[in-house]
Amino acid sequence: MTKTAWAWVWFGFLLALDIAIPWYVLTSVEKVNAAFLFWTIWVLAAIASAFFIFLKWREVKP
Amino acid sequence: MSTTFWVWFGIGLYMAAGLGIALMARRQLGAGVSDFFLANRKLGGFISALSYSATTYSAFMMIGLVGLTYFTGVGALGFELTYLCGMFMMVFFLPRFWLVGKKYGYISPMELLSDRYQNRGVGATAAILALVFLVPYGAVQLMGVGLLMNGISGGAIPVVAGIIIAVVCAIAWSSIAGLRSVAWTDAFQAIIMIVVSAAVLGVVINALGGFGSFFDKLESAVPGLLTVPTAGGSWNLNMFIGLALPWLFFLISNPQVSQRLFIPKSVTAMKQMLGGFLIFGFIYTLISVLWGFGATLLVPGLENADLATPNLLALPIIPMGLAIVVMIGITAAAISTIDSILLTLSSVWARDIHKGLINRKVSEKGELRVGQWVIPIMAIIAFLFALWVAEKPGLDFMIATLSSAASAGLLMAVPTIFGAFFWKRGTALGAMVSMIVGAIIVLVFQLTGWKPLGWWPGVWGFVVCLPLFVIVSLATRPPKEKAEEFIGYLKGALKKGRFI
Repeated sequence: MTKTAWAWVWFGFLLALDIAIPWYVLTSVEKVNAAFLFWTIWVLAAIASAFFIFLKWREVKP
Repeated sequence: MSTTFWVWFGIGLYMAAGLGIALMARRQLGAGVSDFFLANRKLGGFISALSYSATTYSAFMMIGLVGLTYFTGVGALGFELTYLCGMFMMVFFLPRFWLVGKKYGYISPMELLSDRYQNRGVGATAAILALVFLVPYGAVQLMGVGLLMNGISGGAIPVVAGIIIAVVCAIAWSSIAGLRSVAWTDAFQAIIMIVVSAAVLGVVINALGGFGSFFDKLESAVPGLLTVPTAGGSWNLNMFIGLALPWLFFLISNPQVSQRLFIPKSVTAMKQMLGGFLIFGFIYTLISVLWGFGATLLVPGLENADLATPNLLALPIIPMGLAIVVMIGITAAAISTIDSILLTLSSVWARDIHKGLINRKVSEKGELRVGQWVIPIMAIIAFLFALWVAEKPGLDFMIATLSSAASAGLLMAVPTIFGAFFWKRGTALGAMVSMIVGAIIVLVFQLTGWKPLGWWPGVWGFVVCLPLFVIVSLATRPPKEKAEEFIGYLKGALKKGRFI
């Protein structure tokens, strides 16, 4: 698979977690350390992976 | 002196500072549409990041999202962070928009679509979609300012006065120097937004005994708000997907932000814009949601959730001076969004409708003049819509819901945009049919309140428009030569810059 395809798969995986974990796994846990903490860490993972990709970009003249 | 006096004083100061910055930006204004609408594609990374942040984050955050959290709990955090996660797609779309924008000289995202599909009708259809659905979104910003000023002044400033102030500032800052004045005032406003909102959060958390005590109190007082589905039934999966799906694709579906992908002056500026925005967005989202939770503890029992912020700011624990500065911060958030919307809509009207369909031979000067006339006209339409909405109670007219509803309509352009970059077989007819049918479905379902199977209007529209785009495209002839040239160019250029 190409790097682009891997990045799309990773993004799809993040979206699957967005539904699966808070809505099915943590659904009855009424604590801050549940859906609130999950979504915070989850989005940090998304942000970190975006940084990982775009920090490799280099200057081009279109 | 009375609170009302200080509120007016603060507003006057803010307007004077914004006007000064806009006039300074005008000194650098060059000639032509590219300079007016895109700052000649020469914005640096820092200003781009702050401007993108201020344009994206609006009154919706400090009023709408705070209200949604107050009313429905942690699902509001998930919904808003789903948008931020969607920003991951910038690693695909930012370099693509930027590269083709520089190469082909596109002014608006709609012009890109017209050229790629070799049919002006595609851009015009997307332009009409934007004109129809961005009006409610713009109106929401105005409404937010009106409600806030009314709340802070204890009713002394009428909602309509706040709305008028927002309209006047938005028209001025988008007209004075186009994107240059918008971007500079945005940057100024983004700094106010984040600094003052963090300061209030500090005061609120301190009043509740620090973070540990705040979270303990949440778990004991409102445990049902810490899970999804919410105990009271306010969050269910259909609502979550219905609100989050349009938000997920906000970065490409909303032209006032996708147009910004044309403006960074270099790859370094692009990286700074994206990185800066992601950090800003994460901090600002957490602050807004924590405000909402703070309000559930400090001002419980409100009937209109959009009044959570004004009531929170009216508490004795918030010093009056800070409350007024925050009010200005939220006003800044609203105005920085609506001026960008006005500027984008004016460019879309001038380039994609006037030049694209009405008068193809119009000069650049004439095109610019048309765009400048559209700014106040769109502002007045948004103003009238805001006045109408401000009188409507209930969840359907909450700021967060209305904002997402606007993006639901714009979502119908997403298959067409994906097709432009990733599918050579996409055709103009497929694009137009999918956008028109999808938008009609969204409009009908939104106006009637109909939700078959519990699915929200944007979901139904998307479920229909995506296969329509594919099927109609497969049944019609694609612009083969252009598709090969456009996607072929990107393939080579992406490789050179190590983009993916």
